[in-house]
Amino acid sequence: MRRLTGQQIGNEEIERILSREDGILPSSGFAVSVMDAVRREAAVPPPIPFPWKRALPGLVVGAFAVALVLVAGVVALTQLGRASAPAPFSMSLPFISPPTLHGGIGSAAIWTALALLVAFVSVKLSMRLAPGRI
Amino acid sequence: MSAFEGIVQRWQSPLVNLAYRFCHDRGRAEEMAQEAFLRAYRGLGQWRKDAVFSTWLFALATNLYRSELRRIPARTVSLEDVAEPLDARASDGGLEDRDRDFAVRRAVGALPAKYREALILFYFHDMDVTTAARSLGVPEGTLKARLFRGREILRSKLPRRLAVPRLKEA
Repeated sequence: MRRLTGQQIGNEEIERILSREDGILPSSGFAVSVMDAVRREAAVPPPIPFPWKRALPGLVVGAFAVALVLVAGVVALTQLGRASAPAPFSMSLPFISPPTLHGGIGSAAIWTALALLVAFVSVKLSMRLAPGRI
Repeated sequence: MSAFEGIVQRWQSPLVNLAYRFCHDRGRAEEMAQEAFLRAYRGLGQWRKDAVFSTWLFALATNLYRSELRRIPARTVSLEDVAEPLDARASDGGLEDRDRDFAVRRAVGALPAKYREALILFYFHDMDVTTAARSLGVPEGTLKARLFRGREILRSKLPRRLAVPRLKEA
């Protein structure tokens, strides 16, 4: 008696099947549609580069202001920490207020003025960099 | 612009066909090929003249097709489902050639991406390992390993029913 059997599919069979895969033809309007898309792409103006030259002074001033504020903050915190640390044998010493509070209103006024100046400079700079775009 | 039109005319068929092998959907294949041409147009300046243009174009298209299919995968079946014969009438022996071919291609589509991509590109480039490896951006050795492993998975997962029927004396 003869019967049908199957052997595990071999590499040659897989190669034969995969290498004879039929291709498709692009539809008739494909090239035209691609060229339309390319023309649209070409018609779009190139993106405006960031004006590094004009922005550089503002960036430098901004970075300087940030650095100044950070340094001032660190100094103030250090002094505050030193002043509030419990000193041994302090019972006999007179109370010393934190140095940051020494300046009082004068110091606060300087900081406020500085903050206002930084804000003013940044507003002026941004108005100069983007005139009439608002 | 007219020079690029020549490029589109020359390469439209290969790029659409390559996309079709990835997604098996004519409409999507043409969309992906169009996007590939657009990217080629934008990136023509990046093509180094010492490289063959077709190699550069196929690598660009392959990258695009792979990322598109990662974003929206093509409809595939699992390898286990491939084992089910399409035509129950043929389950006693072998399937018709056409059905067997279809089942093998479905099985390729169900392979893990790295093996599937290796097989697609290898056969698309007429079994040229160097070109296929360049298109995929992997060393030739890696491609060969992926081809070997991909075929192994195919052979182990494809059902015996798919094999060429042979008459055996009992």
